[in-house]
Amino acid sequence: MSEARIEAYARALADIAAAEGNLDAVEKELYVVARAIESNESLRATLTDESIPASRRQAVVEALVGSASNTTAQLIGLVIGSGRGRDLPAIIDKVVKRASNAQNKEVAEVRSAVALSADQQSRLAAALERATGKSVNLKVVVDPSVLGGLIATVGDEVIDGSVRTRLDQVKSRL
Amino acid sequence: MRFLHLLAAEDPSQTHHWLLPETAEIIYGGIAALIIFAALYKFALPAAKKALAARTERIQKELDNAANTRSAAEAEASNIRKAVGDIASERARLLAEADQQAATVLSEGRARIAAEVADLEAKAEADIAASRSRSSDELRAQIAQIASVAAQNAVSAALNDGTKQELIEGFISSVGGAR
Repeated sequence: MSEARIEAYARALADIAAAEGNLDAVEKELYVVARAIESNESLRATLTDESIPASRRQAVVEALVGSASNTTAQLIGLVIGSGRGRDLPAIIDKVVKRASNAQNKEVAEVRSAVALSADQQSRLAAALERATGKSVNLKVVVDPSVLGGLIATVGDEVIDGSVRTRLDQVKSRL
Repeated sequence: MRFLHLLAAEDPSQTHHWLLPETAEIIYGGIAALIIFAALYKFALPAAKKALAARTERIQKELDNAANTRSAAEAEASNIRKAVGDIASERARLLAEADQQAATVLSEGRARIAAEVADLEAKAEADIAASRSRSSDELRAQIAQIASVAAQNAVSAALNDGTKQELIEGFISSVGGAR
């Protein structure tokens, strides 16, 4: 899918969520769904398989979204039903970025081996804002491959304090 | 002695000595001899001289021929000796040339064999060095792999929840204190 089409879908989803008045909640839920699709090969294959009926894929989406808002489930179903399931993570990332930009914030994706508490997320967001000089929209992704520490990506800037990267450096030196 | 006594014995019945002719016989015989000698001198001597001269000339001619033949033979002998000498020198030259060629072939062969041996030695040394390096690299890679796995296992074992939280707090502190 072309970048322009991804941008168009993202703009449409953001506008719908904004029209529904729950853009902030929807973009958070969409972000969780996008990371789940990225990290699960079989889920990604199921959602992008055109031979599976759209109703079955919609059911999978609803099961995935679970307790999320109805708007989120409908937006994901819209993209899947349009045959754009393969581009769903990219579309969602654009939605999140648009939502953050609407609040004059930069998306700060943080990968951690374990989940962060609300306090840690708050302090981390503050620390990243001090470090980058930007107001950030913190998105935490639990990634066991990080092993320990954190990897924060704010725009084009990457702050890597992960054990995985240290181990890779040690391996490279060896 | 007895025979000489018989020859010297005189026979008294004879008018002259039995061994000597009569005087007239001596005279007539002498005249006849002179006539014969004169005839011989007149007629036979020129012919004899002529024959002698012819014979002399023939002999001289034969001598000249013999001398010429000898000269020719000597010249031929000289030519033969020269030819023999030439053959000997040619033989010597050919032998020397063959010796030189053999020496050259031998020298080139030795040089080629030496070069081939040097190449083989160099190749063998390069193969040995490559094998040694390859073995060393493989060993180093295996050690690095084992060390890497050991390091990862050690780190994973050491990473309990407390440690992970400490790492997160350390990250937040370091990022927050960056500016």
